[in-house]
Amino acid sequence: MAKMKIKAKEKKGIVKVKAMFTSLMADKEEAVKKGIKASYIKYIVAKVNDAVVYEVTMSGFMSENPLVKFKFNGKKGDKIVFTTIDNNGKEQTGKKKIK
Amino acid sequence: MDRRKFLGVGLAAFAAIVVPGTDLKAMNFRETKPKAWEIEKTVDGIKALYGNGALKKSDKLSFKAPKLAENGGSIPITVKSSLDLESIALFQDANPRCLSCVFSVPKGAIIEYDFRIKMRQTAVVTIVAKERGTGTLYTASKEIDVSIGGCGG
Repeated sequence: MAKMKIKAKEKKGIVKVKAMFTSLMADKEEAVKKGIKASYIKYIVAKVNDAVVYEVTMSGFMSENPLVKFKFNGKKGDKIVFTTIDNNGKEQTGKKKIK
Repeated sequence: MDRRKFLGVGLAAFAAIVVPGTDLKAMNFRETKPKAWEIEKTVDGIKALYGNGALKKSDKLSFKAPKLAENGGSIPITVKSSLDLESIALFQDANPRCLSCVFSVPKGAIIEYDFRIKMRQTAVVTIVAKERGTGTLYTASKEIDVSIGGCGG
């Protein structure tokens, strides 16, 4: 099903992360129009060494296949773990090593 | 909203702020503030999420957005701030429900978030941020012109 693409790069102690999630991001109204079921990611969290570095709760009004970028203080070699939860409660995780 | 209900919302908001305490614990705003996600107008949405504190304008909180968005389906927005913030929320009046997203900022994080939103029509986008510790609310807003609606029409 849905995939996520993650890029994480370290430079001078700051890690830049780009992540893309596959989701239709269709809220109730849009779903009715298109004749599909409502489906959108409602929660994204990113962790490094079990510490939260990025956390967002969203509604269906983010754009399709949401792309997020952010920065945090970190170092090379650590693993960044993304977890997303959609409106049906489905959970997905993705891992990536920081380059 | 009647007075009794309104007070209740305020109390719930206060409790939600006090209870989590630690920064390590992930906070799901959809569970703690389910009401805020159903509200149509920005003004009421801010009250539901943050209570009715005074909103301050600050140079230290800013966001980038295009003045004219050609495609309402994907409007890039960048939020930047040098303040020590606890959470950042984005509201807009274009869609059936005003709240787009809420970031809970971990301690010591660099606040520079880039993301994209959908908007049906031209409307004002408001960002409200809450400072850690003091609980002061900061705001910034901008009007974005949308030429084509993004939500499937």
